[in-house]
Amino acid sequence: MTRFLASTITFPYKRSLGPVVGAFMTALTERRILGIRNGETVLVPPMEWDPATGAELEHDFVEVGPAGTVKSWTWVSAPSEQHPLAHPFAFALIQLDGATTPLLHAVDAGSAEAMAEGGRVAPRWRGTRLGRIDDIVCFVPGETPETEGEDTGPAEQPVERMDYLASITYRNPVPDATDRAVEASKDHRLLGLRCPTCQRVYAGGRGYCPIDALELGPDCEVELPHAGTITNYSIVTPVQYPGQTETEPFVRAFVLLDGTDVIVPYAAVIDLPADEVRVGQRVAAVWASPAEEIDEGGGMGGAWGALIGWIPSGEPDVADPDLVNRIF
Amino acid sequence: MAGSKDTGRGGDIAVVGWAQTPMERHTEKSETQLLMDVITDALAPLALTRADIDFTCLGSCDYITGQAFSFVSNLDAIGAWPPKRDSHVEMDGAWALYEAWLRLQEGDIEIAVVTGSGRSSTGDPALIYPMEMDPYFLAPLGADPLTFAALQARAVIAAGIADERSMAEVAVRSRGKGDVDALMAEDYIRQPLRRHDVPPITDGAAAMVLATGDRARRLVERPAYITGFDHRTECHNPSFRALDDSPSTRLAAEAAGLGDGPVEVAELQAAFTHEELLLASVLGLGEGVALNPSGGALRANPIMATGLCRIGYAADHVMGGGHRALAHSTSGPCLQQNLVCIVEDAP
Repeated sequence: MTRFLASTITFPYKRSLGPVVGAFMTALTERRILGIRNGETVLVPPMEWDPATGAELEHDFVEVGPAGTVKSWTWVSAPSEQHPLAHPFAFALIQLDGATTPLLHAVDAGSAEAMAEGGRVAPRWRGTRLGRIDDIVCFVPGETPETEGEDTGPAEQPVERMDYLASITYRNPVPDATDRAVEASKDHRLLGLRCPTCQRVYAGGRGYCPIDALELGPDCEVELPHAGTITNYSIVTPVQYPGQTETEPFVRAFVLLDGTDVIVPYAAVIDLPADEVRVGQRVAAVWASPAEEIDEGGGMGGAWGALIGWIPSGEPDVADPDLVNRIF
Repeated sequence: MAGSKDTGRGGDIAVVGWAQTPMERHTEKSETQLLMDVITDALAPLALTRADIDFTCLGSCDYITGQAFSFVSNLDAIGAWPPKRDSHVEMDGAWALYEAWLRLQEGDIEIAVVTGSGRSSTGDPALIYPMEMDPYFLAPLGADPLTFAALQARAVIAAGIADERSMAEVAVRSRGKGDVDALMAEDYIRQPLRRHDVPPITDGAAAMVLATGDRARRLVERPAYITGFDHRTECHNPSFRALDDSPSTRLAAEAAGLGDGPVEVAELQAAFTHEELLLASVLGLGEGVALNPSGGALRANPIMATGLCRIGYAADHVMGGGHRALAHSTSGPCLQQNLVCIVEDAP
């Protein structure tokens, strides 16, 4: 039975708005909606360019709405966590008074029966507005705008940027070869897979020979040594970003296993300060204690399970000028 | 027409084979494993190996896979040593095919393999696709594909191109099962769409082999020659488009030479029932054209491979004795970008 691992990836984007979208967002904080003139038409939402020709538009803004007419709609009976309202609502194409194109937004209509093409709607403003399209919570039937909660007023400065948090949860299958490598690591074994065609050996749970495009099964397994030589390294100075757990510079080393062609990439080092790491340094594998939590999945450098890093073995360095070239 | 410089025409380039994985709601294989299998399956009947491939182009999407640079691990499936000519598009495999078709026109290589692959079951498409929309006006509202499809369906119905019954008829014909009256009695899931109007979520991959000139003729008895190929795009925000039309499809079809003669089969990437009716109308496909005999995207919708499969089925028609077929692929909300490929029994 294939094992699946769930992981959530979060991207906290900060988006520049530019002169046109920025003006629109700034106006939203003032509870005003802006379109942009494009010849005889008024585009809402405003664009920097003519959508048909790509010609740059003059920054000739036109205040539209706040009420408008429903041109088309659909009923969302089971809203998602990303939708503007937690209860059933309509998504509608709303042509605001004075605009010639429709804006997509939500309508809090109560029921699908209350929606109709030609229906009139007006915005429900958020009390605290940041300069985002969802400063308008949704539209409501009728001609009269509403404000939700206490009005904290317009932005003090023009809005130039917006935050957008993208977060996605994925479930990915863990290949059998990765599972076998992680299991073996719990017994302090370093598992390799030898390609029957080219005889190259792969480690870190990689279950294919990329050269011969062959899947490598349990019959290809070989035991790899627990000692090696640092071929190359990088000292990473952590930049602070959401989710960053490192605070001090740290080493990522590439280790060539003795008597093999196998590189363990991006490996952590233990009891080896960043200013003492060297190409040619001899190292030995360090395994997690049974109580320690280990990474059951793997990342760009492979899946290594209970192999948590490499410690200087005290043997004399290897002097080989070609070593530094080996990172794959 | 070898060496022709007309946009969208030319080159003595043919589809000589293709393969697809089983199309499943939820595969236990990784995307790399799917590609490993399907490339082997496409090459084996032609007695070709990976060493014979001069150029590869893979179509896939990191957003669906959930891994940055996922195409790098997919390279494990092509046997890229010694180093090969390789490319990737963050598009359906149909666009990978377009790039390979252009590359083969250089004339210095003979065999190309293209793939499309995706595991939609990895995430929740209803939550992933809104993040690919306009980041200022649409993504913050969670504007999802079902909403856009419903709004376009309403426009297509208002224009008299479809009605809810003809949409149900498309569903029954595509899936080869169901009863129109029974389907019409179901509740809406996003008015005017019912469950049967909406595609399945599918994991899968496809791989296609292209060959040029005499090499193609030595490989198979009836190569499916690509005689026209073009793709066009429209404005990203559906607010600024006429949703009851698809001018980009019309332009791509004109450039690909659809009007040069009749087609017997049209494989259209219509994930929603109304899209097939709209596309058939825009392309002017009459009674004599078999629409989506494969069952189309309503039967299996392996995102990133759905379009390449359409071209595969069109090629099957020609390789199996037919003369001329059209394949279509699309990308973006409400048929934003459209690709048309014509395959024929002669170059």
